[in-house]
Formats: sequence, C-alpha cells, structure tokens
Amino acid sequence: MDLRFTEAQEILRKMVRDFLTTECPKTLVRELESSDKGYSPELWKKMAELGWMGLVIPEEYEGMGYTFQDLTILLEEAGRNILPGPLIPTVISTFPIIEAGTEEQKKEFLPKIARGELIITMAQLESEGTFGASGIAVKATAKGDDFIINGTKLFVEMAHVADYIICVTRTKEGSTDKGITLFIVDAKTPGIKCEVIPTIAADKLCEVRFDNVAVPKKNMLGKLDAGWQLMEMMTRKGAIAKCAESIGGIQTCVEMTVTYSKERVQYERPIGAFQALQHIIANMWTSMETGRYLLYEAAWMESEGQPCTKEASFAKAYINEIYKDVARWAIRLHGAIATSYDHDIPLYYRRSKAADTAFGSTDFHRELVAQQIGLK
Amino acid sequence: MNFELTAEEKARRKEFFDVCKELEKKRPPSLLDFETVFELSEPWQFHLDCAKEFAKKGWLALNWPAEYGGSGTMMDQVLFAEARGYHGIPGVDIFGVQMLAPTMLQAANEAVKKEFLPPIARGEVMWCELWSEPNAGSDLAALSTTAIKKGDEYIINGQKTWNTNAHRADWGFGVFKTDPAGRKHHNMTFILLDMKTPGVTVRPIPYIDGEAPYCEVYFDDVHVPAKNIVGQENEGWAVVNLLAGFERSGIGEIVFMLRELEELVKYCNETKRNGKPLSKDPLVRNRVAQLACELEAAKAIAYRIADLQNRNEMALMDASAAKIFYSELGERFAFIATDIVGPYGQVKTSRWAPTNGAWEKKFYDCFVTTISMGTNEIQRNIIAWYGLGLPRMK
Repeated sequence: MDLRFTEAQEILRKMVRDFLTTECPKTLVRELESSDKGYSPELWKKMAELGWMGLVIPEEYEGMGYTFQDLTILLEEAGRNILPGPLIPTVISTFPIIEAGTEEQKKEFLPKIARGELIITMAQLESEGTFGASGIAVKATAKGDDFIINGTKLFVEMAHVADYIICVTRTKEGSTDKGITLFIVDAKTPGIKCEVIPTIAADKLCEVRFDNVAVPKKNMLGKLDAGWQLMEMMTRKGAIAKCAESIGGIQTCVEMTVTYSKERVQYERPIGAFQALQHIIANMWTSMETGRYLLYEAAWMESEGQPCTKEASFAKAYINEIYKDVARWAIRLHGAIATSYDHDIPLYYRRSKAADTAFGSTDFHRELVAQQIGLK
Repeated sequence: MNFELTAEEKARRKEFFDVCKELEKKRPPSLLDFETVFELSEPWQFHLDCAKEFAKKGWLALNWPAEYGGSGTMMDQVLFAEARGYHGIPGVDIFGVQMLAPTMLQAANEAVKKEFLPPIARGEVMWCELWSEPNAGSDLAALSTTAIKKGDEYIINGQKTWNTNAHRADWGFGVFKTDPAGRKHHNMTFILLDMKTPGVTVRPIPYIDGEAPYCEVYFDDVHVPAKNIVGQENEGWAVVNLLAGFERSGIGEIVFMLRELEELVKYCNETKRNGKPLSKDPLVRNRVAQLACELEAAKAIAYRIADLQNRNEMALMDASAAKIFYSELGERFAFIATDIVGPYGQVKTSRWAPTNGAWEKKFYDCFVTTISMGTNEIQRNIIAWYGLGLPRMK
C-alpha cells in the first residue's frame, strides 16, 4: 500500500493547475456560461495540444496511453478551477470505443479525438431520468444496411456542438438490460434535432430528438443487444470522473472559505477566530478528506481493471452529498457577499447540483450499493 | 498510488484473521462491544486469555524494536487491529500496548523501558490512563493533582476521573503537577504508578446502563518511586502530545462497524415486516446503503492515515478528521440500526433481543468515542488551528 501519487502524477497535476489558472479564469467561465457554444474552441485546441482528450487513448491511436487514475487527477484540477466544455463527455465516450470498438472504428475516431478534432458525447438519459435499464426506450430498428433510430434523449451534455453522439438504444422490446445496443451517431445526420435545456450550471445539457435517423450498421458499438455492459461501464467511469471533478470543487470551496475567514474582520477580529465558524470549516475539511480517499480508492480500482461497481457507487453517493453540503456552507460562511452573481462560490454551488445528477443520483447509487452489500 | 497490500502483508493479514476467527468461537456472548470488556467479568477474563494468546505470538509488541522483544511493522498493527475489529476480539490493552508502549519507546529512559515493556509484551500487566480531573477535561493543562518530589519519591495528592478500567488495571500512567508554581505546559510530569499503592482509592462510576467501565481515582499521600517517569521532569505535556499521536487510524473501530453492518444486512434479509423482508423496503435499503458508503469513506481515510504513519509521516489533521468522522458515523449507525429493528431496538440481552442486545447497547455506547481521546470539538480545533491556520482561542 502506498497512497502517494507518483512524481509524474504530481507533475501532471501541477501542469493542469497552472494551465487552467492562466487559460481559464472565472471571467471566461462566466462568459462561456452565457455563450451559445458553452466552450471555447481556442482553449479546446490548447488542451488538445497538451494531450488531454487523448490522455487515456492508447499511444497506437495517437493518445498518451495514461491511466484512468491519471485522468481523475486532471479532472480533479478541472473541477478545482472549473472548466466549462465537453471534456468529460468526450473522454467518457472514448472508453466504449477503446474497449468494444472495431479496429476500423478505433482508427477512425480515436486519433481525431486525441487531436481535439472531434467532440463526442453520450446520450443515455431519457424522460424517466434514470441511468437504469428501464429508462431506455429510444428504439433502433434494422433496415437494410442501417439502423433507424427514433425517440428522444435528454440531458445529453454538449450535444449541440458534438460531432458524434454515442446513443444508447433499445433493439429488442422490453424494459430490462437485455436488448440494448450502442451506436456512434454522426450528429449531422438528417432527423436529429438538438435543443439546449436551461440548467443550473449552464452546462449545455441538450434534448436530442431522433426522427427516423439512419445509422450505418458499421457504426454499431459492441455487439447487438449486448450494449448494457458498455452503458454500465460509461456510467461507472463517468461517476468516478464526476467525483474527481467534485472533489476539486470542494477543495476550492474549502480553500476560499479558509482564506476569507482569515481576512474578514468583525468584532475586531477575523471571523475565523470564532469557534462557531472554525468547527463548521473543520467539518467541511473532514468531508473533503473522507470523500477524497473514497474517490482515490475507486479511481485506483478502475485504473487497475478491478471490479469496482460497489466502490464507484460508494464514492458517487457520498460525494454527491458532500459537494452540495460543503458548497452551501461556503456560501453561509462568506455571508451575503457569496449570494451575488459575481462571486465565485455560487459557480461551485450551482455545479454541485449539476454534478449530483450526472451519472447517477445519490439514491440511484445507494440502490446499487444496497445490491452489492447483500440486501436481497 | 496503490491500495493493495504486499504479498507479505496479505499473508500476515490472513494469519491475524485466522487466529481471531478461531478466538471468536470462544467469545462469551456477553461481550457485545469493547466497552463490555471493562464492565463484565466474563469479557474481561476473555480479554486476559486473548492477551496471553497474542503474547505467545509476539503480537503485543508489533512494531517495537527487536531489542525489546518486538517484531513486525506499523502496518502489522493496522492489519491486526482490523482482524480484532472484525471478529470482536479484545486482548490488546489499549492503554498499555497501544498508548504507553510506543510512548515509552520514544521518550522513556533505558531503565524504565527495560522494567515496563516486557510485562506489557507478555500480556501480564494491564494499564489505565490517569489524565482527566473534575476541573481539567479538554483543558487538560489546567489539572491540579500534585506529585511533589521528596527524596527519591513523588507524593501524589488529588483526584483523577473518567479513568477507563481503573478498577481492573494493575498499573496506571498519568500526568501530575510536579511544579505547581511553574509555567503552564512545563509544570507537569508523566508518572507510572502501581494501582495497589497505599493511598490509591478507585471508585467505579455507574454508567448510563448501571455498569461501570469508568472510575474516579483518589490519591491520598501516594508514594511513587521518582524513577517511574517517562520523559523529563516537568515536561510531561510533551509526552502527552507524543502519546496522542500513535496509531490513530481507528481502523479497528471501523472494521467492527463493518461487521455490525453485515449483521444488520443479515437481519434485514431474514426479518419480515408488512409481509415482506425488511431488505425489500426501499427506505431500509437506502438508509443501510448510506451507512455502507460512509463506512467505506471511514475505511479509506483510515488507510490514508496508516499509510502516512507507516512512513513515519505526520497525520495530525487526517487523524482528527478520521476520529470525528468514524465516531459520529457510529452515532448515526446506532440511531439508524435501532430504528430499523423497530421495537426490538430497545431490548437488552434476552430472548427478545436481536443480536443479543448489541443494538440497544450501541445506542448508549455510541457517543463514547466522540468524547474520549480528545473530544470531537477539540479535534475540530486541531484541524482549524494547526491544520488550517485559523486564529487560536486564547
């Protein structure tokens, strides 16, 4: 057991932190929130030059060949700074291609993703709003050399700027995890209509309507009717990725609160001198540190290829709650100033809500935990 | 980063678990939790028997230097604590083995080490801690019990309180004011004394349930050889702080709760309410799963502390955070578990009690850890002051 990061990982962390501090100030974050695109193509290009989108893509496909744990370090820093844009949907969409894609698919998509030329996202949720199998109703029906997709996907992150969408469809009647198939869908295919849903973090979650959308059979990802495993894999990796981002956000909330409580003077002393505040801050720090090692454990297991459905759900269910809680306390301890639009803490508070809905809510993951700990 | 144990550590872990699993078969049913060891004679006797068993294997001297009969590593201590926690096995004297021995190894002179360490390793002498006083709890430095040097002896007068197991312990260690006029933090000495010394009176304090794990101890002209000290005279405060830093991951307590969680899951699977097993109730599933998530978080941070301490690095903030977290998780666990088992959550050991009354006991033992070993409020101060650099209370 050695819970230290390697020197190379520490360098990666510092590189990401320094880059984002300079390249993604809060002024840009706010600007992107109110922009149509929701991301900066210039910044995206620079990130690609640093190899971020190709971080976990094998070197033979022009990626960096780094581990999943390395990715979570990058995402922790992204969450710490806030980095609007399609990084998480793109990297999480990459995994089913790496794991189940045909050689042709890998060659077609992975190098372009690594070069930052493609934005990919995944369409999982529908109107039921669950990451469970019963929520998948969008149909794909075989017709000649194509599959025809019909139905509506919801909360598809950055779909409005995506080049491709990994669409989770039902290829057999029913509501179980059998008969689910994934397709890599060109977002420009006729019949696709995309509309941005106004959301708390302005993170461009979209409604994507599929109206007789023809997808070539060669764009099927993995095996017919056996896509559930890939869906679960994306949800699991996405959950851990989101946890990393959240721990980063929590860290900023704690750091800003500590700094402010040392500066802000009331009753002729810094407010951080009052135990009423000290103990709340200590609680925030305790939440962060307990969540942090829960994240690192899940990320390490995922990175090592160990089964970690349980650990990913432990982490997501726990970190969902502490991010909201810590961000809320950060506002409380800053006082009225932190309720203003121009303050940075609310940027994190709003994202804590967005994060908890992504890749499975607290209750969704608690149910997975319940199954894993043997509740019949 | 690597959460995996080495092959050697895995083998050691298995050895610890195998032995504790065997011992569990002999565990008296009245040993409901580790508090009962100090309360009832059967669990206490079992504790002594286990101590003898562990002593034979050298497990009471893990991570000690070989010259004092030690073997193994800091990690072994952690793995051994896990095994005992899971199987609910006492046998390791918290005060002698876990607190005093590592303190003596760092701070005591050679003669003291030679005299007091071997009986601890042999599991022969059980210790208690003599710290708190009626007017010195969290503010321990405000203590007033004196030990005045006269020739080659200290004469102790005053009162200590909340001394766990003082009524069964053979020896006690404590801090006493040796220079009443001296300045704060440089006026007390860390002294070891035989609890059978004339002038020592131990009075058990009835706990919530009427049992007595804690005592008050009165000192009336108690003569203690002046050689029985750890650290320098008048510098006992430094020794107190040193002692507070050893093996603080809490892994034993956490793994004990993991076992309790297994028991709770089993109960939910086997018990019907409203015509279906409790385990089918979504509310029950949600609450039990929440406990499981928090327990894993506690375990993960405990490993973090073990990892730091294994490399002799400081884990001050994390140790305080872990203590706050797992002790308050214990409280949540007790409330949720006693709620889920319904009216049976109030039943003491009897034929009506699920898990032999362990849930009912947990309901009033759950906050002990939040108060002992530096209250959680003191731990929060430590995080705020020493960890985050917030202004200290004057």
